[in-house]
Amino acid sequence: MTHVAWRLVRRALLNLWRAPVPSLLAVVTITLALFLGGALAFTVLGARALLVSWGAQPAVTAYLDRALSEEQARGVADRVRSAEPGAEVVFVSPAQALDRLRVQLGDLGGTLDGLSRNPLPATVEVSPRGAGDLRALAARVSQVAGVADVDYGREWVDRLEALGNALRGFGTGSLALVGLAALLVVANTIRLAVYARRDEIEIMKLVGATDRYVRAPFLLEGALQGLCGAALAAAGLLAVQRLLLPRAAAAFAFASGAQAPHLSAQHCALLAAAGALVGLCGSYLAVARFLRT
Amino acid sequence: MIQLFHVTKRWSDDPPVLDDVTLRVEKGEFVWLTGPSGAGKTTLLRLLFCADEPTSGQVIVGGRNVNRLSAGGVPFLRRNIGVVFQDFKLLPNRTALENVGFALEVMGASDAKIRERAHKRLAQVGLADKVGSLPLRMSGGEQQRVAIARALVNEPAILLADEPTGNLDASLTDSILQLLFDANARGATVVVATHDRALLGRYQRRTIQLHHGKVTSDA
Ligand SMILES: Nc1ncnc2c1ncn2[C@@H]1O[C@H](COP(=O)(O)OP(=O)(O)OP(=O)(O)O)[C@@H](O)[C@H]1O
Ligand SMILES: [Mg+2]
Repeated sequence: MTHVAWRLVRRALLNLWRAPVPSLLAVVTITLALFLGGALAFTVLGARALLVSWGAQPAVTAYLDRALSEEQARGVADRVRSAEPGAEVVFVSPAQALDRLRVQLGDLGGTLDGLSRNPLPATVEVSPRGAGDLRALAARVSQVAGVADVDYGREWVDRLEALGNALRGFGTGSLALVGLAALLVVANTIRLAVYARRDEIEIMKLVGATDRYVRAPFLLEGALQGLCGAALAAAGLLAVQRLLLPRAAAAFAFASGAQAPHLSAQHCALLAAAGALVGLCGSYLAVARFLRT
Repeated sequence: MIQLFHVTKRWSDDPPVLDDVTLRVEKGEFVWLTGPSGAGKTTLLRLLFCADEPTSGQVIVGGRNVNRLSAGGVPFLRRNIGVVFQDFKLLPNRTALENVGFALEVMGASDAKIRERAHKRLAQVGLADKVGSLPLRMSGGEQQRVAIARALVNEPAILLADEPTGNLDASLTDSILQLLFDANARGATVVVATHDRALLGRYQRRTIQLHHGKVTSDA
């Protein structure tokens, strides 16, 4: 049976070679679809990574009175700690805060060296260990002597998270739409190529070829076109990443711990699988129509 | 080998192309199918290899009711039937050798076997020096002979030929018909559609006459 498999592979390659224009068209269509899908996925992934990193910030930040000495400031932190046993309380001195900022700014961190005086206040970060009423916690912390101001970022972090989830829903939905549209366009492009060979299909069937035998070379061609499309799309995404990532990195530097999404080997494998699948399904759909008669 | 019971075929509301045809062809018979143009000869042959379905009636080929054949069974029926199509149905981008080998290819024969048998058949139809030619570079008669070689190549039990000599001169006609008689002598059941009355006179065999889709004589 191996000689039949080999014959089908040969036939598929020969067909690609004999009619390069329709296959190129299919490759271009698949490339565009995968590129758009990939770019969309990365945008959504990047946006979500940013949002999540913001979400990881402490729940309530208490800014301490600048007039306090560091000793006094630590005392305020201790008072908060004993008043809120259910919360994690971290004291951040102005120097620590400055160091953190320096790290977050990355390459831009050097600009901080020009400061004659540390402008940052000491802060106390209070994050509840379980789910707690942030508004109430913030209100209690603000009553502690020595606390100048409180900021309970969770409120808008929650909103960000909702936004992130919406973004994910939107991303998934639009990816599915792009995928479906791509499949239809690809199937139609392949159908053009199959249409040119409908006589061949008819004659194959008349001399006793099974549907599977007729379909096999087309499926192989579709999968090959899909893989070529995936390779081109990956190259395109990589190029765009090269261009945009250095700029995006600055934005990501502000979000502690977040990484701008990179095109990894897994992503490439995923693209290849998606390409092959789209090519296969497209060919299957395209041939099915001509097999019926 | 071939049986038709009250077979009617109509396209839309036109008068039927085949009208209540009942006939029987025994295994190993050679039959002429004749009648004026439009009588329904091609239509009848197409029913036999499942290219069309009868509107009503039963078609039995090789002991199997082809109307009840599953879609998966059709290819296997066709591998036992060699067909010479009126319009040849050759693949324009394949050589004569590839076209003839095609019928063996879909059955999964080995490359060497395909080559050898296709060569032999092309030589039999007098095209040994044209094996590498594309159909478009061949004359009508040459294409017809390629089509005949393809129909014969896997020694089918049933041979259906639709005007197999329509494009051939007298001497080629005789040699091609001889191939069909040879296949018949080896046991194949052969049905040849033709409106060439001279042939019927020269080679006296059972003749089924169709007229407006009805069998008007069978002798
Ligand atoms: N697909 C179709 N749709 C509609 N009518 C058809 C179709 N195929 C055949 N016919 C009609 O069926 C009739 C018989 O056609 P058929 O091809 O069987 O004749 P024939 O006896 O083979 O003629 P010829 O000797 O010219 O080959 C014709 O009138 C034709 O118009
Ligand atoms: Mg006809």
